[in-house]
Amino acid sequence: MDRECVLILPRVCEVLAASGSSLPDDTSLEKLLDWFTTITQTGVSLLEACPCLLDFLSNIAFNSTSGPSILSFSLKLAGLIGASEDGFKVLEECSVLGLVFDPRHWQEAGLWEDPCLRIGWIQGLKTILQHSKALRFFVQAGLIEPLLHLQTDSSLFVASAANQMLAHVLLLCESLSSVGCNGTKERDLEQNSLSMETNQNSSGVITKALEYLNKCLVLKETSQLSQSQQILKLLTQLLVQVSTPLLDKLLLTVIDSVEELVTKSCSQLTLPLMDVVLAANSRLSDDHDPKQRIGRLLSLMLNRNNPVDVIQAAAAWLRSRQYDPVHTAHCARVLLLPLDIVTGISLLDENSTAEELRILMTEQLKSKTCFSMICVCLTNIPQITLLAPDCLPCPQRRIVSAVLSLLKLCCGDTSSSSAGCVGAFRFVTGSSKVQKCSMEALSALSKSPEVEILLPEVFKLLTEYLNSPSSDPSVLQKSYQALINWIGVCTDLSCITGLLREDLIQAVRKRACDMRWEARDSTVEFLGHLAELQSCRTSTGEEREPSNSLLGGCSFTVPLLKEALQDLESYVRASSISALGQTLTLSWQQGAALTQDQVEIVTRLQEILSQDSEGFARRAVVKYFIAWFSSCSSPTSCSLLVQSVPTVLSQGVADLDWEVKLHTLELAELLLDQAFPNPAPPHPYAMMSDQSHRSHTQDKESELLSSLNSLVDRGVISALFCFLVDCDRPVALKACQLLLKLRHTVCPLMVSAADTRVPCELPGWTWVHEIRKIQGVNKDPHTQEGSHIGFEARGEAVEESTSAEGDSVCVSVCEVLRSLDLDERLSILTQSSDHIYNSPLSLLQDIITASTANSHPNAEPGQEVIVDCY
Amino acid sequence: MKLYCLSGHPTLPCNVLKFKSTTIMLDCGLDTTSVLNFLPLPLVHSPRLSKLPGWISKDGSINLEKELKECAGRVFVDAQPEFCLPERELLDLSTIDVILISNYHCMMALPYITEHTGFTGTVYATEPTLQIGRLLMEELVNFMERVPKAQAATCWKNKEVQRMLPGPLKDAVEVWTWKRCYSMQEVNSALSKVQLVGYSQKVELFGAVQISPLSSGYSLGSSNWIIQSHHEKVSYVSGSSLLTTHPQPMDQSSLKNSDVLILTGLTQMPTANPDGMLGEFCSNLAMTIRAGGNVLVPCYSSGVIYDLLECLYQFIESASLGTTPFYFISPVANSSLEFSQIFAEWLCHNKQTKVYLPEPPFPHAELIQTNKLKHYPSIHGDFSSEFRQPCVVFTGHPSLRFGDVVHFMELWGKSSLNTVIFTEPDFSYLDALAPYQPLAMKCVYCPIDTRLNFHQVSKLLKEVQPLHVVCPEQYTQPPVTQSHRSDLMLELQPPPMPYRRCSVLSLPFRRRYERVYILPELANSLVPSEVKAGVSVATVSAVLQSKDNKHTLQSVPKPPPVAPSKKRKRVIEEPPVTLSPKPLLSGAVPLEAFLATLQKHGITEVKVEETAEGHILHLQAEDTLIQLEEDGTHIVCDNNEPLRTTLRDLVLRFLQKL
Repeated sequence: MDRECVLILPRVCEVLAASGSSLPDDTSLEKLLDWFTTITQTGVSLLEACPCLLDFLSNIAFNSTSGPSILSFSLKLAGLIGASEDGFKVLEECSVLGLVFDPRHWQEAGLWEDPCLRIGWIQGLKTILQHSKALRFFVQAGLIEPLLHLQTDSSLFVASAANQMLAHVLLLCESLSSVGCNGTKERDLEQNSLSMETNQNSSGVITKALEYLNKCLVLKETSQLSQSQQILKLLTQLLVQVSTPLLDKLLLTVIDSVEELVTKSCSQLTLPLMDVVLAANSRLSDDHDPKQRIGRLLSLMLNRNNPVDVIQAAAAWLRSRQYDPVHTAHCARVLLLPLDIVTGISLLDENSTAEELRILMTEQLKSKTCFSMICVCLTNIPQITLLAPDCLPCPQRRIVSAVLSLLKLCCGDTSSSSAGCVGAFRFVTGSSKVQKCSMEALSALSKSPEVEILLPEVFKLLTEYLNSPSSDPSVLQKSYQALINWIGVCTDLSCITGLLREDLIQAVRKRACDMRWEARDSTVEFLGHLAELQSCRTSTGEEREPSNSLLGGCSFTVPLLKEALQDLESYVRASSISALGQTLTLSWQQGAALTQDQVEIVTRLQEILSQDSEGFARRAVVKYFIAWFSSCSSPTSCSLLVQSVPTVLSQGVADLDWEVKLHTLELAELLLDQAFPNPAPPHPYAMMSDQSHRSHTQDKESELLSSLNSLVDRGVISALFCFLVDCDRPVALKACQLLLKLRHTVCPLMVSAADTRVPCELPGWTWVHEIRKIQGVNKDPHTQEGSHIGFEARGEAVEESTSAEGDSVCVSVCEVLRSLDLDERLSILTQSSDHIYNSPLSLLQDIITASTANSHPNAEPGQEVIVDCY
Repeated sequence: MKLYCLSGHPTLPCNVLKFKSTTIMLDCGLDTTSVLNFLPLPLVHSPRLSKLPGWISKDGSINLEKELKECAGRVFVDAQPEFCLPERELLDLSTIDVILISNYHCMMALPYITEHTGFTGTVYATEPTLQIGRLLMEELVNFMERVPKAQAATCWKNKEVQRMLPGPLKDAVEVWTWKRCYSMQEVNSALSKVQLVGYSQKVELFGAVQISPLSSGYSLGSSNWIIQSHHEKVSYVSGSSLLTTHPQPMDQSSLKNSDVLILTGLTQMPTANPDGMLGEFCSNLAMTIRAGGNVLVPCYSSGVIYDLLECLYQFIESASLGTTPFYFISPVANSSLEFSQIFAEWLCHNKQTKVYLPEPPFPHAELIQTNKLKHYPSIHGDFSSEFRQPCVVFTGHPSLRFGDVVHFMELWGKSSLNTVIFTEPDFSYLDALAPYQPLAMKCVYCPIDTRLNFHQVSKLLKEVQPLHVVCPEQYTQPPVTQSHRSDLMLELQPPPMPYRRCSVLSLPFRRRYERVYILPELANSLVPSEVKAGVSVATVSAVLQSKDNKHTLQSVPKPPPVAPSKKRKRVIEEPPVTLSPKPLLSGAVPLEAFLATLQKHGITEVKVEETAEGHILHLQAEDTLIQLEEDGTHIVCDNNEPLRTTLRDLVLRFLQKL
């Protein structure tokens, strides 16, 4: 621990204890507590390290005139100290413990009303309850009663914390009593009696808690709904965490009440009840006694009279991924039922679902709940597609047909659902929410077995959606996604007729001119995704890319995307740039010759990079070049690419957007990797003659030299140097890492400095000033001058160029790399930018300063302490 | 109260309301869909249209070569197009007192009603309705007169002949009411009968009813009407819109508490959302221009075109169409564009505030200034020299049967690069295109109808809560093509009363009250007495005078002093003025208290019998009956006048006197 901190801590304690003193900000106490917690986590005893804390605590405990936030803090602190047995002992001896954790003490002082204090009490107590002594204290002080009382506190935060605390207490009791049982053999009598006492304490607490749970579960009136929900949540938590003996006990105690709740069929409790039942079910093995009762509860939940509840319960079962052939099949049927009813496409065999549920659900589907039921059904279709075929009432192909039919209903087309529920049509028609859910379901269904046969139908419907003037942009986006999913899965596109293709082309062309930018954006994205899909078989039997066989390939796509480069909306421009990248990737990989279109695109992209006012588009441009460079089979042989890279790098350096800069660095890294490919590791035992070693080294050196020269020529090195002093930390960090990599590669081999001077031009003297600043900060003041000289006096390292460019600077790469303390720079950049302001010392100082400012409010008006908000 | 329905077209209504003593015509829309049966009138000589074969029936029995021509597999009438007029036989049009016009589309039949029918009343409309209506009529007349066709076709209308005709001609209805277009002179005469009104202005009609136009939000100056007397209120809702386009928003709250609401002019495209259609319009336009084609937009010269231009104004930039010329060709193009800018008070709030700024409320002014939008009266003249392609042309008539649009259809129809985009919902685009087939040009149907849809109207009705709704029968059932769409019809409780052409409806409410005024001096003489808290009653003797549908109570004139006449010897009884009328009684006789009183007066043997109306008391000893009923008391007592008087006085004790 910092010495300085220890020195000023007593003063901080004084300040905190003094009543009425203010704090620099709300979070400072939390931060202080965090700091203490980290100290204890390192294994240091808090009281030994900061003895003043004990005084502080007793001061607070006996005065109780402080504000609630300080009191709450003290309670939590007391918990932290008492969490270790030694600390607990000290607190107990100075009788602080009994006092601070006695609710009556605070009630008498009138402070218990404040939820802040109650939270402190709960959290302090929770931290302290780590050992049997603490448990004994908890039992003897009779704290279980107030804790149970807090379970349904008026403050939600308090109630929730109390729930967790109760779970913690029960788990502690459980772990302590099991330790006690196992350890009795080798312990002496005293310890034995101690563990017996612990056991008694534990079982007492457990009994009380379970009784309480059982009592609270019973729903007396609807006003207590939130209370029941709270208790059910707690129960779920316990069921998941406790081990078997306690689990049995817990279930035995509450199962009757849970059953009563289940039979009461209260809709608001469906989900929490389902959580309880599912948690219990997953914990119990089949040979377990209560398993059958839980199974019965589950059946009850899944067969209730309210269709909305049943659907929710069924969805919860499927989500839980638990397996039981009967229940799973039932749930799948329940979830498919709304789709069956609305579309009239029978997904279920007649006898499988209770006729009663079908009638009830049909009625419900004619009201506004229609939306939520259908949407729950649709959002769970991905789960249904994962089920084994024997759990499904029909082949998945049929579900696809039903979803298609629902999507048709959404556009007012009822031709395919003559048997459907007419009352539901009016809700479904034109509802973009249902459309979106259906599209997602359709996407999920693309991976189902044996659905490929439906591709033409899916394709036709999706094209209709894309063509429809009333499709919402979000629906359009989902339609495109679904189309991509289906095309991506199908290996054979021969079923798509020319007419369907023509419709799609028409739709895409129209949407590329849409008034809504979202629609244009999705269209452009679609073109990109389509280009990325694997090749498939066409009607003529040859292997081709889907984009080629559906839209006619680049000759259709590229002009559309080029047009989109001019879009008014920056998102569309950015998307079209990345789509162009995706579209051209294949031709880059194949090393195809550049077309006139591509040349024009590069010119336009460079314009965007230098002129576009929006960062998205500029970022996309740099990424385009990254994609081009990395997918190009031989980047050096593509002259246009080689020519454009220096421009991109220099513009990236000048950009104001830090992400553009970071992407530029990625490009630079690619160039570095290309210049210095990772050498194969030398064989450790390879023999090499001195002669050959020397010539080898020389070869290597000249090779490196030429690589380095080419990097300088392409502007990579100057970009890295510039980025090193960038004001955006992530950029500087990345540049520093790359320069380190460069140094490791280059410097060890380049020994003969005089022959291997690689000059590099940098944009200006400002850079030198920045470098000096860095050195000035890092070096000891005494050597500061020396370092300057070390950098400059080598003469050749930095010299002012008097060339026509005016103030550009010419440096020697290796010299600069050596003279910059890159490792030191890296360690500074790795720290977060607020590391100084966020230190514990700074926190403690802030607290003191705030209090002095507060105690002399009129001393220096206008000299208000500006609080650091971190 | 009766409603006479003269038009079956739900969006081009023409109804007559007889209310109190007035006869009010609500709109006079002209159904122009009949022109689709006629051949287009080409502005420039068209060899194709001039060489069409005449029609002869298959067996050769009917030869109408001169009247009917076969074109693209269909038969068309080769004559000046005719319109289907509102019914003129259902009632005597000369008895109409006033005509209320709700928007400029609903007044196109006005000259047929006001001229040559003996009509002597007044037409009420707002100023923009009058001015733009005049433009539309002028345009229509101009379109027709530019291409004169002497020949009138009447033989085909013969019932026997029509029965034998093919295709849509056979099924055309009311063909004998079809009339050729009116002349400019008739237009001027008809419009001279218009009296201008402003929104919420109240106009008294003969003291019987008050009429008042309300903003309906559909077009410049469009209105709904309130027709009310002191105790009844009829609302007439014609083309209304809740969308925020250029006109003033719809005034909904004034429609509340109507006894009857006549609902017409809902959207003709209930499934097409105007926003979606506008988007569709723009993207198809951009797509065509980018591919180097021309775009033709057949439209009316006022209305949706303002919104289209405004939308394009914003879209041009983003779709990089900056250099493409937009042409607006109509005999009234200039006036339409100018007029829209000056009707400040009729615009939506947003545009109203712009009136006080240097830039005009509609952005089409800027399009004109920057030469992006050019307007011409016709394709002849300046246009032909400045015409550049690819371009976008807005021109009429949307039926494609007359106007400059005919020329562009002939010019551009053969190239698949060009697109015709239909935005007006009044005509079926397939029928409109029929004489131009086969067509290589792309056709896009984006009907933009901003009028209320069923969802909006049911919300509106829920809010204004009329007692009864009357509407065209088309609104009471789903469209024929979408019979399952129960959301595309009006579902109300009580169900709306449907009407069709030639229906006469008795509106289901009786007038029960009439306001009567009391002259001050008469009121002064009244002596009210309080019958219960807050309610005072007084008796009035007066003379009721009714004049100009106003009813007034006046003091009874003192009889002129009777000149002593010797001839008449009859003794004049006391003059009627001095004879104060017997006091009026009110209240009820409480049974228990009454029995107690009877007992006090020695009548003890009373048998009480309960009846449906009240009680019968049988005084057995006196052999007398007293019938106590809600609105009367009878004492049946034979030959015992003293007893009757006593009993009467006892009853009177319990009653209040006025």
